Amino acid sequence: MTEPVAAPAPAVDPASPAAPAPGAVGAGLIELVDIVQRYPQDGGELTVIDGVTLTFDKPGIQVLLGPSGCGKSTLLRMMGGVRHPGVASPTSGTVNIDGEACHGPHEDVVMVFQRYANRPDLTVEENVRFPFRTKLWRSRIGKAEQDERTEAILEAVGLKDKRSLYPAQLSGGQNQRVALARALVLRPRILLMDEPFGALDAQTREEMQALLIEIWKGFPCQVVFITHDVDEALLLGDRVIILSTQPARIADDFVINEPKPRNGIWLQSSLANELRGRVRQMLHQGAA
Amino acid sequence: MWNPYLPLAPRERRILGITSVLAVLLIWAGLSGTGLVGPAKLPTPWAVGSAFLRLCWDADRGESLLGWATVYSSYRVFVAALLVVIVGVPLGVAMGASPRVNAALSPLVDPFRSAPVVALLPVLVLWLGIEEALKITFLFLGAVVYLVPMVRDAIVAVPRVYWISARDLGATPFEAVRLALVPIAMPRIADAVIAAVSIMWTYITVAEYVNATKGLGQLIQNAKRFSAMDQMFVGIFVIIALALVTYQIMTRLKQRLFPWETSI
Repeated sequence: MTEPVAAPAPAVDPASPAAPAPGAVGAGLIELVDIVQRYPQDGGELTVIDGVTLTFDKPGIQVLLGPSGCGKSTLLRMMGGVRHPGVASPTSGTVNIDGEACHGPHEDVVMVFQRYANRPDLTVEENVRFPFRTKLWRSRIGKAEQDERTEAILEAVGLKDKRSLYPAQLSGGQNQRVALARALVLRPRILLMDEPFGALDAQTREEMQALLIEIWKGFPCQVVFITHDVDEALLLGDRVIILSTQPARIADDFVINEPKPRNGIWLQSSLANELRGRVRQMLHQGAA
Repeated sequence: MWNPYLPLAPRERRILGITSVLAVLLIWAGLSGTGLVGPAKLPTPWAVGSAFLRLCWDADRGESLLGWATVYSSYRVFVAALLVVIVGVPLGVAMGASPRVNAALSPLVDPFRSAPVVALLPVLVLWLGIEEALKITFLFLGAVVYLVPMVRDAIVAVPRVYWISARDLGATPFEAVRLALVPIAMPRIADAVIAAVSIMWTYITVAEYVNATKGLGQLIQNAKRFSAMDQMFVGIFVIIALALVTYQIMTRLKQRLFPWETSI
């Protein structure tokens, strides 16, 4: 079920690992087994996710691609994020993180949201340091290491000179950098990104995509990245999983074994065009 | 061209405001000064002015009646405000953060927003007597029934993503309330406190009508017994002025404490 389908080009090799990142001990293992999600609706039930089985065992950027409202976000939240209240999530199936069943927020998992979720009442630096205010992280990470990690991540996202500004004084791209820094300051083994660049303009989105790839090399964790933008999936993905809509099932699943960063020129290459055609076809089939 | 979204120059705004106040003063002076309305119904502005001076310093008694009245009334509002904040803010936060607590307590709190707390006064007199405890309790009840729902609504209005994010970053539910929901709701909670104190200034006269011995409410009651319209007006104006001053101080304080709010 998790086997990637046959690749259309030699560079796409399902048998070989995604981005190699040898010795990347920082990446977590995610297993989704036969996930089903149903919501009550008009006396009956609406099936949103229908039998999704996936394993992410190789560190890299795993892209979940699908149309808006297909249940990607619900699926993402099951992987150690905070789940929607009210309805049991998932309805059936199991989620394992590093081999252990996961039923809610997981310590080694951090989420980045489309709307940043930056605190309006905290400065850039306070936002990045926010996780250290919780008892959990305060007790695990000493003051000196908190300082060291904060400095390192502010440097990495290029916000050192903006540290005492409030989010309202920043641009959308800078706000998303703050959100990324706050997530990575915990050095998570799994990073869940829910359409993180969806609210940004085209140029800022490109900058952020490049930044994500660069930062990932310094913090090689397991990234699960949701998008509905086909080019974004091709630029970032070490592996791309296409979800059909209503209910979400895996329509396609392939590895892109191309070096990163990939640029606009690569997006015009015959391989990229082929993949794009393949993705479009799968998305249309899913919609039909 | 008239446009509701066009901001007004500060100078123009000030001129318009001062003009309308002056216009009312002039009409007042005209009505009372020409004898169109008798002094038993409407004192002249200058009569109110001289009453103000007399109340500020009574040479015969050698004390300031107005000063003492202001001190007593302010003291009562201050103590009641302290109690309202200590009791009302945690209660409102608990209701905002827990649907269960809200379901249990809102039937006890919400009806009093539209029901007259003043109607409780005779009952309170029977329970608490007519001394200081009654006055403070009355002010407290009058304001707390407004404050609690406002604080609850301030917490409820915090976008859910901050809760999710805090929980995701390792906060316990209790920590997510303390470290995320409350700080983000603080400006609106401050607004609720400001509104509660304003309400207390409107209730202070009622509180001080009963067994009036000291305070601005007593001053007005006393003046009424002697049909001293000019002194009643002084009392009313001083209460309005005090309410305005407290409002201004608290608003400034709020801007100082939460500078980020104005930058949104």
